[in-house]
Amino acid sequence: MSPFPAKRRKLDRSATSLDDSETEQRSTSNASREDVVPPKPTNTTRLLEADDAALYVGGLYKSSLFKLQVDELLREVVPNYEKRFGGLTTALHKLKGLIEGIEERGALSVADATKWLHKSHRIAVPYPDPKPDKNAAYKLSYAKPSHINVIGSYTLRTMVKSDSTLSVDLLVVMPAAIFQEKDYLNYRYFYKRAYYLACIAAGLQQAAQEDFIVAFEYLHGNDLHPILVLKPRSDESKPVPSYAINVIPAAPPMLFAETKLRPTKNNVCGKDGVEGESTILLPTPFYNASLRSDCNFEAYLKLLHSVTKASDGFKDACMLGRVWLRQRGFASRLSDGGFGHFEWAALTALLLKFGGPNGHSILSPGYSSYQMFKAVLKFLSSNDLVAHPVVYGPVDFVASTSSSPVLYDGQRGQNLLYKMSPWSYNLLREEARASLSMLNDGTFDQFEATFIIRTSQPLQRWDCIFQVSLPSHDLESTSCDHRSSMAEFGFRIAEILAEGLTDRVKLFDIKIPSTSSWSTKAAGPTNEPSSLTVSVAFDPATIDRLVDHGPPAEEKKKAAKFQKFWGEKAELRRFKDGSILESLVWSPGSTYAIFENIITYLLKRHFGTVVASSLRFTGEGFEKLLPGSGPSTKSFEILKQSFSALEKQVRDLEGLPLQLRHLSPVSPQLRYSSIEQPLFSSGQPLRNPADLSIQFEGSGRWPDDVVAIQRTKIAFLLKVGSLLEEVDESIASRVGLENEDKPLQNCAFLDVIYGSGAVFRLRIHNDREQTLLERQIKEKSSDHRAREDAVLALSVYKRLFLQLPLHTQSIATHCTRFPLLSPTIRLVKMWFDRHMLAGHVREEVIELLVVRTFLQPYPWRSPSSTMTGFLRTLLFISRWDWRAEPLIVDFTGTMTSKEVDSINTRLEAWRKIDPTMNRTVLFAASNHDTSGTAFTDNGPSRLVATRMTALARSACKLVKEKEMDLDPRSLFATSTADYDFVIHLSPQFTGDHRRKEASKPKYKNLEVQSEASMEKVGSQPVLSYIEELNKLYTNTIVLFYSEIPGSVIAGLWNPQAVATRSFKVNLMYPTRPANGEGEDTEDVELDKSAILAEMARLGGDMISEIVVHR
Amino acid sequence: MPKIGEYAILPISIPLTPAYPKTTTHTLYLRPHAPKIPTANDERSLFVVNVPIDSTVAHLRAVFATLVGAGRVEDVTFEHERKTMVPSREVVTVGKASKKRKRGSKGGEDNGGAELPQIWDRELRRSGSTAVVVLVDAKSVELALKAVRKLHKSSKKEKEKDRSWPVWGEGLEGKKPKLGSARYLAHHKLRYPDETVLKMNVDAFMTEFNRKEEERTKKERTKKEKRMRNMPDEDGFVTVTRGGRTGPARSEEAEQKKKEMDEKERKKREELQSAGFYRFQVREQRKAEQGELVKKFEEDRKRVGAMKEKRGRFRPER
Repeated sequence: MSPFPAKRRKLDRSATSLDDSETEQRSTSNASREDVVPPKPTNTTRLLEADDAALYVGGLYKSSLFKLQVDELLREVVPNYEKRFGGLTTALHKLKGLIEGIEERGALSVADATKWLHKSHRIAVPYPDPKPDKNAAYKLSYAKPSHINVIGSYTLRTMVKSDSTLSVDLLVVMPAAIFQEKDYLNYRYFYKRAYYLACIAAGLQQAAQEDFIVAFEYLHGNDLHPILVLKPRSDESKPVPSYAINVIPAAPPMLFAETKLRPTKNNVCGKDGVEGESTILLPTPFYNASLRSDCNFEAYLKLLHSVTKASDGFKDACMLGRVWLRQRGFASRLSDGGFGHFEWAALTALLLKFGGPNGHSILSPGYSSYQMFKAVLKFLSSNDLVAHPVVYGPVDFVASTSSSPVLYDGQRGQNLLYKMSPWSYNLLREEARASLSMLNDGTFDQFEATFIIRTSQPLQRWDCIFQVSLPSHDLESTSCDHRSSMAEFGFRIAEILAEGLTDRVKLFDIKIPSTSSWSTKAAGPTNEPSSLTVSVAFDPATIDRLVDHGPPAEEKKKAAKFQKFWGEKAELRRFKDGSILESLVWSPGSTYAIFENIITYLLKRHFGTVVASSLRFTGEGFEKLLPGSGPSTKSFEILKQSFSALEKQVRDLEGLPLQLRHLSPVSPQLRYSSIEQPLFSSGQPLRNPADLSIQFEGSGRWPDDVVAIQRTKIAFLLKVGSLLEEVDESIASRVGLENEDKPLQNCAFLDVIYGSGAVFRLRIHNDREQTLLERQIKEKSSDHRAREDAVLALSVYKRLFLQLPLHTQSIATHCTRFPLLSPTIRLVKMWFDRHMLAGHVREEVIELLVVRTFLQPYPWRSPSSTMTGFLRTLLFISRWDWRAEPLIVDFTGTMTSKEVDSINTRLEAWRKIDPTMNRTVLFAASNHDTSGTAFTDNGPSRLVATRMTALARSACKLVKEKEMDLDPRSLFATSTADYDFVIHLSPQFTGDHRRKEASKPKYKNLEVQSEASMEKVGSQPVLSYIEELNKLYTNTIVLFYSEIPGSVIAGLWNPQAVATRSFKVNLMYPTRPANGEGEDTEDVELDKSAILAEMARLGGDMISEIVVHR
Repeated sequence: MPKIGEYAILPISIPLTPAYPKTTTHTLYLRPHAPKIPTANDERSLFVVNVPIDSTVAHLRAVFATLVGAGRVEDVTFEHERKTMVPSREVVTVGKASKKRKRGSKGGEDNGGAELPQIWDRELRRSGSTAVVVLVDAKSVELALKAVRKLHKSSKKEKEKDRSWPVWGEGLEGKKPKLGSARYLAHHKLRYPDETVLKMNVDAFMTEFNRKEEERTKKERTKKEKRMRNMPDEDGFVTVTRGGRTGPARSEEAEQKKKEMDEKERKKREELQSAGFYRFQVREQRKAEQGELVKKFEEDRKRVGAMKEKRGRFRPER
């Protein structure tokens, strides 16, 4: 059978299914059956896949590309069960036998039982706090478990490769006989469970000594749930298997009535009866749920098993969820948010039965894994389970609202989210929302953002991170529920942050460090944490607000509460609109200063000076690195105002031969993105003139020749200059010449110098140039050289007069839209500059890279601090595979996937034409420039681009390793050891010296002598020197230079030029005979020493030393 | 004497600079000048390869002065100036601000003032470029080459003493515009020429340009008319214009034109048809779209395959 008819049939089906829901259902199930890809596909499945492939393009997946990538991901993350769990089955069988062989032990009092275990086996029973009463009436006993079973993701085969050891859960169900009816009260069940576990530990200790290391651990960090962890011992003969076996004691399913353990019930405080009588007993949801979860292990195993059978996509959806959660730092552990893959799987399973309108379910078993994954995200993001708790299943129970989320599985009587704190739930929802919006992005492929990028790295995720140590005195508990003192502290801080910071922050997270496992002989975990970490994401619009408005004075109750919360900081103020409000006034300063101020005050007020003084903040270091007055954009604004004034003056000029059409800024100083702020005053004009492009209305009187146009511009500029001088006396103007050896390019500019110190440089844009140059390029009669010149001139023309005005406008607009864009661009530029790449990578490319971080911020939201913006940009650079991927910036958010595709195709075409990347290396496209090469035409070379990636990689690695201990300056330190030679500049010519000079205080009466400083505007001897060197030795050396410290120029020899070659007349570099002097030879080699001597002569007094490495 | 091809090797010793205090020689390659298109001065000229970037006429003069004695060099022409061989040895003054400059720079008065004012006080030579040194007579050429040979011999004897090679820039200290920061400062000044100079310059250029333009348009017009006489238009007719006496158009040309027209017509018709007027067209269009989808899928698969080859693309970061 030829493959063609089959293909057509299937295509037709998918086409018709669009309007026929029944067929769609059928084709859906067909497709999803296909998509369950076995870990190692055989040839036949591969074929099938290809044949049915076109189906995936339909609604089942985001796109076929996405689907294929998901398949690859699933294939990649599945561990090799046989290899990783070699010998596990025998080990489990052996363990089962051992546990069943432990002898039974009759009822003993708490004290006796503890003593006995300690004496005979030296085992400390891991009782939870509070420790059991020695004189308690109930007795502890051990009996043979009712059964033993393997549960968890190992049995479901939904494990995912990871760095940590994979663990297999061995469930030991305790016999009902050892419990009493009322054991659910006051920790009695948990004491008995702990004793039972200790007995198993005692039994295994001897028997399993040779094979395993036995230790206690809290299951998911919940100290009500101690378990035994058995790690296989290393053996001489075989490598250590990287798995661990968790022995988990569990209660029989029907031990306690479900109704007694609902989240609204209290089961703890009745103990003493002293305080308890008068007060209403507060519910103890966490305690109850912890108990219920012990009864439910097997019930959930059953549920998940049956769902796996019923729905094909389920297993893969669980694995996708697992990867997604892990990349966001979520896990079942209390310290990791309390939402892990088990919760994900159980939630998905529940949603397959419940959740939809009219008793229907949200998910259908026919969904593909991706659909299921996305629907779960949608469920998480769109339902607020704190405000509206949800109960599924056949129970008549209405959950009341509390601060924690509730998703009650009625059938099994379990709040699935009981381990989640309010803040971790908020975080999960935010992550789900962000992921959902990126999955809905039809234009760009978001696969990497969804599953590959680790989003939970603190410095890239959060704007400010601080550590607080636990106060030494006990906090009085606010609830009866079971909570460690650390958790209690965390909850208190969360409340205070929520009330104190209000809308200043978008999100915060509190990390309570988890305990590790401990030896069976120790009394408890050895590393009791003493401090917790709070991470905050700012709201850039409100974070630096100086005055907080509280409730009005008339509302007595609210005002009193406000005063109680804020203490002496709260003051009554009358505002302009006549209202009298309780308010707070913070002293002005940087964003971080204000924030730290508030936090320190709050913690001091609520926990005392000791806690407040223990605070350690991370985050501001990056902003502080910026030169000048930090992240403020004030000086940019001032220059912008001067520009507006100039624009008005030019517009109002009378006597111009042609009408003005546009006066557009093209300088980074006019788009908030120059590393150094544009500072100027009447005595000190702006050092680097701000470039402008000026365009007049079209006229037929321009000459029809490029060179002549350039010359005519001079006359125009002279006219504009003299007219401006007439209009405004404070203006001085002068016409300067440039591009002396490139007749096709712009040859003159006009400097307009205001008395205020603002300096602008105008170049005339004439659109006729483009046509003329294009004609010149097409003309076949002209020689190769002339055409090259025209091509170069055209690309310069396009960049300067077409792209730059648009680019400048877009960047400036977005800098006002995102207040943090400007400092981030400047910081990233500084990074490039410090690593001496600034001369190679154009500023505009760097700006595009940073804007991308803000406009396509996935998997995060737009950065709300310089630190996150900077580090995320570095992360992007480190991951950017510029060989195969273009950089695409969608300024307006209106790009279609078609446009993106065409940009991709263009890149592929470039790579086909020029596979060695001699011409275009980086490909940076935007709405304005779909060609992608406007700013990357002449640089960076592949060498520089590779270095850029390498530098970014090592920076990201450092960030990951150091985390909070990172010194931001270390990312900006560069070494010159890799270069072949280094030219050290004389101190008075370095950038640093120049800056010092500029900041020197001047006497007022000396300001009059501004003529001299006017002269110097735009004079940059070192840059001119480098420019000349580059021109002289284009193919011989590559120079690296950084402008900000500006004290060295480093260089590399071009390996092609270094090679010995036969003599010819027109070599582009100085040579010497290859085999020394005195003999006849045919070959010559690069005369490095002669070049260095030439450079030294040319540099003259500007150079202090040339150091040669190679 | 060491030679490379036909070139004699002449190392020049470079004086030490504080920034680069290392004994360095710069190698010049010399041979009698023998250009493809001979000129009158060829036999008394030397062709020099690999001149240093900061060479000036005076520098080379000094070098040859040590070889064959002072006053033997008549003229030096550097590589990129060779086109404008205007032997003007006079000192030219340009503008008020600019200093005295030797010839070799494109002076403001050259070419009817149409060249832009010079904005560097001293020109640099392209790295590894050439120059032609015209000596007073053919004998001097021989003498110079002989002197080089002799130097090689003596340097062999004295071994270490490099002093024997001509020294670069000897005796010129302070006579040439200084390099280093002074050069760039001067450049910064020179790039802002006086307004009147600029104005005059533009005017001069434009007059020159207009004159040339007029000539060109005249030429072009006659050319165009000639072409119109020779080329039949789309209907096969030939326009009658003034001045031509050539015969009528050839039939091949007319036929070719017809073919072109037919092609145009055909394309137009095709365009109309593909717009989707008939049902079968809609169906075919849909089929094409589906084909497109399949193609895209295949492309995506290739891309994913390519990604897979790069390790770690599908491994979630840790």
